[in-house]
Amino acid sequence: MPSPPRSLELLIGLLIPPACREEVLGDLHERFTNLPRYVADVLTSVPFVILSRIRRTTDFQVLLMEACVLYLSFWGAARLEDVAFLDFRFGYLRLAIPAATTLLFLMLADAYAVPGRGWVLKSLRAPVFGLAIACLSQLWLPKEHPDLTLPRWILLCGEAAGLLLVCTVRMLSPPPADRPQGAGGPVFWLHLDSVSLSPEAWRIAKGAGMLAVAALLGALLGYGPKAAPQVLVILAVAIAAYQVRRWR
Amino acid sequence: MAKADALGQFEQVVMTAILMLRDDAYGVTIHAKVEELARPKAVSLGAVYVTLDRLEDKGFVGSWLSDPTPERGGRSRRYYRLGALGERALQESAVTAKRIWDGIVEIWGKEWAKEWGKRWGKEAG
Repeated sequence: MPSPPRSLELLIGLLIPPACREEVLGDLHERFTNLPRYVADVLTSVPFVILSRIRRTTDFQVLLMEACVLYLSFWGAARLEDVAFLDFRFGYLRLAIPAATTLLFLMLADAYAVPGRGWVLKSLRAPVFGLAIACLSQLWLPKEHPDLTLPRWILLCGEAAGLLLVCTVRMLSPPPADRPQGAGGPVFWLHLDSVSLSPEAWRIAKGAGMLAVAALLGALLGYGPKAAPQVLVILAVAIAAYQVRRWR
Repeated sequence: MAKADALGQFEQVVMTAILMLRDDAYGVTIHAKVEELARPKAVSLGAVYVTLDRLEDKGFVGSWLSDPTPERGGRSRRYYRLGALGERALQESAVTAKRIWDGIVEIWGKEWAKEWGKRWGKEAG
């Protein structure tokens, strides 16, 4: 019986997220007749499988909150270290680059994580690696585009605050794949049993957690009441959007 | 009872394939059956996977892994089965399709329906 080259299968196996690797590789193996057709099958299935997995493991409300807190972390660090930096060319865009790099890594980390295993550790590990990659990307950028990099202290302070805040957000809202699952997907009553909190209490706890995060960010900025309202308004909008989506 | 979500056309085809395959519905067989149902359109394996994931998220189908088999290089199959919600959604879609068919036949006539019936019969072999 013909079978695809082992090395090629290993390589393709690395590209497919672990949660669906077994069945997709098996299906591709079963359909194998010759190498060109196998490659065509891989090209028409693997990218879709990856995108589908990203869609399934990404909670867009949580992603929005992570984007907010990451950007605010770098913005706060810029205000703290060098207010004039924001008036430079591409000042606000430069703050978004490490935040976007980290978000991209977080999405991929969730998609490629093995579901149900140690989500607490994963919640902490993914932001650490994501921010480390964002830092490395900033080391590469100066050579090509020096006007798109962040000053070192803004980068480091922003990353420290971002790490703290993103970890908090992720601890409050674990990735969908790590929530309790039924046979065919997330089951509402299983979720209720496992958290032993009513849905309303759970929402209030999340809201309170986010407000605590906002207060912490205000304190980190060092501006106290001056900065807190701006932070609170942005986070309140994010929380409201999140809750409205849930209630619908 | 909760109202079932509406099904897209391709979702209907995939669910019909799962229904027809009964206990043998997994990636390869579902793709083959979907290609048969969607003729003459070509369907990629990736489109089937994406739709199966979406149907699973909606709670229309359930899935489980079988034991590993040698013809798949020692890997398991993921079998799919329609859930109660999926069966209901498919029934609603079938009723709607029947109403559309009846409406068209009423306007375009029985001769047109016969001609199309013959053409479909030939295609089905």
